[in-house]
Amino acid sequence: MPTLNAALDASASGLAAERMRIEVAVSNLANAESTRGADGRPYRRRDVVLASQPVESFDSALGRTGAVGVRVASIVEDQAPERRRYEPSHPDADKDGYVGLPNVDPAEEMVDMVSAARAYQANLTAISLIRDLIQRALELGRG
Amino acid sequence: MSVERLVGSVQTVPILPASGRDPLGPSPAAGFAESLGRLVGSVEATNQQANRAVAGMVDGTGDVHDAMIALQRADLTLQLTVQVRNKLVQAYQEIMRMPV
Repeated sequence: MPTLNAALDASASGLAAERMRIEVAVSNLANAESTRGADGRPYRRRDVVLASQPVESFDSALGRTGAVGVRVASIVEDQAPERRRYEPSHPDADKDGYVGLPNVDPAEEMVDMVSAARAYQANLTAISLIRDLIQRALELGRG
Repeated sequence: MSVERLVGSVQTVPILPASGRDPLGPSPAAGFAESLGRLVGSVEATNQQANRAVAGMVDGTGDVHDAMIALQRADLTLQLTVQVRNKLVQAYQEIMRMPV
């Protein structure tokens, strides 16, 4: 089944990329109040960088443009300054009594998550459409 | 299969064979049985991929969607093979019914 396989692969790569976006948004939300990470500094908001990547297929082997998938190029840390809150009793407070909090805005993460979930659904719809098309083509043989 | 190998084999195929035979016509050695055998082989291969994807999903190393796509792919390949087999049997019966 070579013909629509490349399209299926492209949609599958989209699903994997959107899953990673959801994972990162969820990590940001979960760590919205984490005052210490692995390096002892407050957690920094993470962002997914996506890059397009041609799907390995018969077309691409012949040098023709075929289906183009997506891959997670990298996950970068947001360099925006951390939030600061006055809380002298906190163990991570500095000498002035301020605690560094992650630069995470929960509302922004929710929007990211909804957009990733919708994109995931769109890819699922594309996959079931491709499946239906192949099945309809096979029905030509019944008759 | 590596892409380089595929490209290599594509480039070394002559456009017209020396015998002048139509390249799209049936070669004497590769009969219908062989192509049916290849089809069954691809059913087996997609089946194994689906098995691996489901096993990966169960032990947490794979994604749910990868497993489902692999299952769908195996199902569609099987359906294609069944269709080809049905057509073959149908043609055989048609010929057997022919009065001589």
